[in-house]
Amino acid sequence: MLGFVLRRVALTGLMLFGLVCITFTVSNVAPSDPAALAAGPDATRDMVETIRREYGLDRPLHEQFLRYVSDLVQGELGRSIITTRPVAQDLARYFPATLELVLLSMALGVVVGVPMGMVSAVLKDRPVDHATRFLAVSLVALPAFWFGILLQLLFSVQLEWLPTSGRLDVATPPPPAVSGMYLLDSALAGRWSTFRDALAHAVLPALVLSFPCLASILRVNRAEMIEVLSADYVTAARAHGVSPLRVVCVHALRNAMLPTLAIIGLRWGWMLGSTVLVETVFDWPGIGLYAVSSAIAGDFKPVMGVTLLIGLNFMLVNLVVDLLYGVLDPRLRASA
Amino acid sequence: MSMALGRPSFAERHASAIRQARFFAWSFSRSPSSLLGLGIVLGFLFIAAFGPWIVPYPADATGAMNLANRLQPPSAAHWFGTDEMGNDLYTRVVLATRTSLWVGLTIVGVATLVGVPLGIAAGHLGGVVRSVIMRLTDVFLSVPGIVLALAIVAALGPGILNGIIALSIVWWPGYVRLVEAKALALRSEPFVEAARAVGASHARILAVHILPNCTSPIIVKASMDMGLAILAAASLGFIGLGARPPAPEWGAMISVARTYMPDWWWYAVFPGLAIYLTVLGFNLFGDGLRDILDPKTNRG
Amino acid sequence: MQDSTIGRRGAIAAGLGAAGMLAAPRLARGFERDGNRKILVYAGGQSVPVLDPHVRYDWSTRMIQQAVYDALAKYVNDPPQIVPWLAERWEASPDRRVWTFHLVGNARFHNGDPVDAEAVRYSFERGLRLNKGVAWMLKDVLPPENIAAVDARTVRFTLTRAMPSFLTYIPMWYIVNPRQVQANVANNDYGEAWLTANAAGSGPFRIRRFEPQSIIHLDAVPDYWNGWPMGEERRLSGFIYRIVREPAARRAMLQRGEADMITEIPADDFELLRRMRGMRPEDHRGMTTFAITMNTTRGPTADINVRKAIAHAMDYDALIAIHNGAATLMTSPFPEQIPGYIPVPDMPRRNLDLARQFLARSAHPNGGFELEYVHVQGLEDPRRIGLALLNSLQPLNIRVNIVAQPWPTMVARGSRAETAPDMVSVYVTPVSTDPDVIAGKYHTRAHGNFWGMHHLTDRQLDQWVDAARVETDEARRNALYADIQRRVVELQPEIFGMLANRRWMMRDYVRGFVYCPLRLTGEIDIHPMWIDAA
Repeated sequence: MLGFVLRRVALTGLMLFGLVCITFTVSNVAPSDPAALAAGPDATRDMVETIRREYGLDRPLHEQFLRYVSDLVQGELGRSIITTRPVAQDLARYFPATLELVLLSMALGVVVGVPMGMVSAVLKDRPVDHATRFLAVSLVALPAFWFGILLQLLFSVQLEWLPTSGRLDVATPPPPAVSGMYLLDSALAGRWSTFRDALAHAVLPALVLSFPCLASILRVNRAEMIEVLSADYVTAARAHGVSPLRVVCVHALRNAMLPTLAIIGLRWGWMLGSTVLVETVFDWPGIGLYAVSSAIAGDFKPVMGVTLLIGLNFMLVNLVVDLLYGVLDPRLRASA
Repeated sequence: MSMALGRPSFAERHASAIRQARFFAWSFSRSPSSLLGLGIVLGFLFIAAFGPWIVPYPADATGAMNLANRLQPPSAAHWFGTDEMGNDLYTRVVLATRTSLWVGLTIVGVATLVGVPLGIAAGHLGGVVRSVIMRLTDVFLSVPGIVLALAIVAALGPGILNGIIALSIVWWPGYVRLVEAKALALRSEPFVEAARAVGASHARILAVHILPNCTSPIIVKASMDMGLAILAAASLGFIGLGARPPAPEWGAMISVARTYMPDWWWYAVFPGLAIYLTVLGFNLFGDGLRDILDPKTNRG
Repeated sequence: MQDSTIGRRGAIAAGLGAAGMLAAPRLARGFERDGNRKILVYAGGQSVPVLDPHVRYDWSTRMIQQAVYDALAKYVNDPPQIVPWLAERWEASPDRRVWTFHLVGNARFHNGDPVDAEAVRYSFERGLRLNKGVAWMLKDVLPPENIAAVDARTVRFTLTRAMPSFLTYIPMWYIVNPRQVQANVANNDYGEAWLTANAAGSGPFRIRRFEPQSIIHLDAVPDYWNGWPMGEERRLSGFIYRIVREPAARRAMLQRGEADMITEIPADDFELLRRMRGMRPEDHRGMTTFAITMNTTRGPTADINVRKAIAHAMDYDALIAIHNGAATLMTSPFPEQIPGYIPVPDMPRRNLDLARQFLARSAHPNGGFELEYVHVQGLEDPRRIGLALLNSLQPLNIRVNIVAQPWPTMVARGSRAETAPDMVSVYVTPVSTDPDVIAGKYHTRAHGNFWGMHHLTDRQLDQWVDAARVETDEARRNALYADIQRRVVELQPEIFGMLANRRWMMRDYVRGFVYCPLRLTGEIDIHPMWIDAA
């Protein structure tokens, strides 16, 4: 077991280095000049040069790479030219917002997808089942950014049930920071009106973000449920006149747990990536929006920082999922 | 009378293949959703092929300007309404289909051309080669596609070509994984072992035994990927890193249309519907293909 | 962190017709309350990453700087005037080289320290030594040693040459509190790191909450040394600037009552909003010039006949139509409000015959070449203007390749003649009423800056601009600037576009809005503003 864990961890480390090489390569293909942005609209040429030297943008390539790697090891990700803060600081500031959104989406995916999948299996081949399956395929096909805009149009502008954008109302100060996630922090502090406000702001983006995950979870649970429903012990229970509902649900849930876990691991990275689109539509101040605004302005370090962070995060989640799988599914452990 | 046996006809020689094809077609047609997917895909291909000839205002995709006519709601003259330069939206949405088609084909094509050989090499050869290739693949797969594509496009600059390059780089690892698993499984199949025992070269084994058996998962994945690649390209266009004006592109149109919501809603709705239907069509089609080519995997 | 006595507003449904041209939905009740005072909420698209007044300025940043800091003088009104602020009066020597400012006696920083001559001297020195932001305005004429705090209330500036327009730059140099800044210096940075997110000012507002990419909340200073023009009972409790990047979202906020005022409004939205009850539009002639700068050293545009041809093929009416009529065509390289402006005769307008004649004299009499047009990524208007340009040049058989690039890429490319694009769209807002700011755009020293991407080199023009800079006699100055304007139009380094109106949309209970064309884009002066409602 220990060997398995160590191997996986070492592998993750190697992959991380590979990722760093990729990000560095990509960032040096950039033709833009970030120093000009920092210097401001009315800067003279020598002012731009001052800034260029300050940010170390005039050194030869291999020197920059070595500096890059040693910086990363120390947790130094460079400085954003737009916000003028260290990228690491910006990431620490914006990541909780994205994390909150992704966790909420996952929760929505599970809470909605599991029962829907099971119901769909029970009512197999009836109209409800067909509708649900069609829905599952649709949710993957829907462009998240487009549907987000339409939902915004319907719920925020037309019906005015939900706010249009952001995490909180203008007037509401954020709750005392414990995790950076407003829902958790306001609950911990007992600030229930803030909690409600944060929830209202988070509903639409989390919903849009959850769709593909929801679709996958729905399908998997439906498949598992179908298998369980046709199992011998269920037929036997029915023959005895016993309602198999509880047995069925428990068995199906247990069987579906592993695949659902696998889906969460798989989809986690995808979701983190999708935040780029969803946060743009809803003006949600997370790392997705941070990456997009930086990319558009030609400010490179933040984009690389976000890529590294998401890559690292995804690798860690995969590691955890792999280890959990190993724990939960003894067959895997034996073969590893 | 001559009793010489004539050469069998085409139908007789390929009888089993034809029978199988007919079976596939029959199976496929049993599923309404697969037929729907097929219908949509065919429609998409038709529109892409004949687009320039069936649109009412072809000049509107190349920079015509009609400011007096801008932001008109859908009407008989303009089925989807007009945009902020007065161009007919129906024309632009239809002509953008062409762009989407070649974008999707290129991305999936490049991904397959790069990924499949690497995957086969990894699965068949094993050992160090496999380790290196799989680790490289894992690294690329560790960053979600859109983020890596964003980073690459941010470096290269906006434009459809750069978007395609970025997305191709993001897409090939998926094929490596898929093919590697299959090739690895095939390695231990008796007919492959037999071929090796007889002394067939690697190339022959690959070409005759491995590759043909990989085609069905590749085809299934490729058809679903068409839709997803188009969606990814539209996403880049939405962020603002896509096609240059005045070239029509669905994602870019939605990006501009955001400024005009909600009052001029048609501008955002129709391009989005086009993306949705296209991706849906390819997904249903791919699902249907999977059901008939790989029926063992019951995915519900 | 203050605890909140701020109440929440109620939401009222306001339906919007799908065709969008229906008038008068009921508007949500707006403005935030703080006790028995009100808070004004303003939504705009640009963030305020750095608050330091000597490091950076753009419209959103300057708006906050102007609220939190004071300068020796201030720009107000349209046409712009310079009024005394921290300085109650000033005089200049006859040769315009020595300027003396006399400070008011009652100005105090927020922490109670007096605003004295040493603070002024320190602030100017800091700005010059940091060599960022506003430094370019004075660094050629004012070495830091030449600033003297003569006594507690008098400051003297001795310039290295005559500069009649010195005063016009003064309102942009804010005064910081040396004691607070020095207490927060790290690594000899002049306190730059600290002043990025903190303020050491004397202005009518202080920072309550500063989140550079999302929200900035200012509190009014009740005993502000220069008082409150609307009176103590009616003044605001504070001001919130909310950063909302999408124009559609800002519009939604205004309609729902989440914001009292918005800016950077697309022309079509403006028409929609102005019909609604309870809204008040502010629509003013702007001083921001828009031009399509052409590379005069390379490519087809190096030939003046090609430039003239393009200038006479351009559909100038489209420029106005794109703004829905809210713009005026430039009649000179100078905006009208700049002293020395003259309407230049034969300003190019669309005339295809003339355009063809010019083109015939060039190396490509039948066109057949392609030009690159570069604009800032994400901006709607320059993109549409590019489409209009493309359309305009089709009759001449000239193709246009529209390219959107991030601002830093544009600036980097444009800084060298070899890489500057064929055509670039550029907005320039003069920061002072000094004609030299505009005339200097066409001087050789402009090369390398974003306003000089044409890389024009004309000896005569350079001579005239240099002479006009130091000319103390007004009549002779104006004559020189008239010559300069005519010559620039002759040389056609740019397609002279339009002066877009500056527009805001606000609820009708917002009062005290004073328009000054020298403020940048969406910048407003918050000090005189208040809310008139129960």
